[in-house]
Amino acid sequence: MRGHGFLLANYVPGNSLIHRTPLALKFLLVFACGLASFIIQDWRISTAVLAVLCGLFLLTGAGLKRLWRAVRPLAAVLLVIGLFQWWQLGAPTAARIVLNILVCVVAASLLTATTPVQKLLDGVVKAASPFKRFGADPERFALTIGIMLRSIPYIAGTFADVRDSARARGLERNPRALILPVFITSVAFARQTGEALAARGLGEAED
Amino acid sequence: MPAVTFDQVTVAVETDDSPEPKVLLDAVDLRLTERRVGVIGANGSGKSTLLRLVNGLVQPTSGTVAVDGDDTVGAVRRVRRNVGFVFTDPLSQLVMPTGREDVELSLRRSVKNGTERRSQAEAALRRLGLLHLADQSIYELSGGERQLMALAAVLAVSPKVLVLDEPSTLLDLRNRELLRRTLAGLDQQIIMSTHDLDLALEMDRVLVIEQGRVAFDGAPAEAVATYRTLCMDGLHTTEPSPR
Repeated sequence: MRGHGFLLANYVPGNSLIHRTPLALKFLLVFACGLASFIIQDWRISTAVLAVLCGLFLLTGAGLKRLWRAVRPLAAVLLVIGLFQWWQLGAPTAARIVLNILVCVVAASLLTATTPVQKLLDGVVKAASPFKRFGADPERFALTIGIMLRSIPYIAGTFADVRDSARARGLERNPRALILPVFITSVAFARQTGEALAARGLGEAED
Repeated sequence: MPAVTFDQVTVAVETDDSPEPKVLLDAVDLRLTERRVGVIGANGSGKSTLLRLVNGLVQPTSGTVAVDGDDTVGAVRRVRRNVGFVFTDPLSQLVMPTGREDVELSLRRSVKNGTERRSQAEAALRRLGLLHLADQSIYELSGGERQLMALAAVLAVSPKVLVLDEPSTLLDLRNRELLRRTLAGLDQQIIMSTHDLDLALEMDRVLVIEQGRVAFDGAPAEAVATYRTLCMDGLHTTEPSPR
């Protein structure tokens, strides 16, 4: 199975200012960007925010290639969204929507590229600890995030494999030949992951 | 060595094809105390079911399985702390983007301090000679490296028993040898299913599973010979009749 699809950038060791920024601030940045994507109504402001985020990403030393790898899996979807919105609401709105999605993806990539996963999980555990009094297990929150980060490239890789095998059988234009196997493989992957976690005693409530 | 005991264990599952449950394992009685126990048998014979019972991944329909006296149903958490499980496909086992992160994930429950966890993870990786691969994406590792990484993640929590379900099936010759040497150096009790008969010959005791029953239990050489005979018999009965 290929694992070449990465929606978010993997951690890149470094000592840049962003690397050293406290995790809470980085979380806040991602949250603020998510919020801003609803608030910003002008595509020029979206462009400026995206440019700043891309600049910050490059400052981390993660490089343009990693940035592109983080965005590339979304390119086709963004194109479809952009064209549809252009047709429905005009070019400025289409540009704003596409740029705002990119703002969220680049902000999240900035977080994942400069924070080791375990530190990220520790942060999630800390953030979720107030919910402990309601019976929630913060470690499970963290595990969920970790599995999500791991599953995205797996499913993207599965899609690439399925597309290749559909192409080899001359079925590349048949959506069933693409969607159904990806769906089945993803369900099987979820079951296997669940089994692997159970075997390792992960995700169980604390003693 | 810890004792793994099977007391009249039967596993049966409901199927759509038949009103009767399909029996995967039938009244198995075993007491495994040897350091290295091999499990061989044809595909679908019940090897994986037998191994999964040890970790509590499969529960017996009737009978009991215990590891060092702990019932795998009633004390499943304690059992899973003591029994590490390595799957055939390491990609379904490694749940984090890199090996280091996966090993650290194993340690999250037992080691709360991040620095200590990191150093224990490094020690676990170093032990298997994997430290240089610690930060590589698991997708960039070879099959053998991934399997060893999965093994490191399991060994990091120091289980007493290590169960491996056909760990060498997806590996090439070099990686098989690497895995074989690594397993040979471990202190844990090992219970391993395999299609690699050379590997089976190195065990202290080998079980041959055939249609959900233990067809042979004893010395490796005799077990392998029994398995070969069973395979040949099966081949003759399924051979297409000449036109």
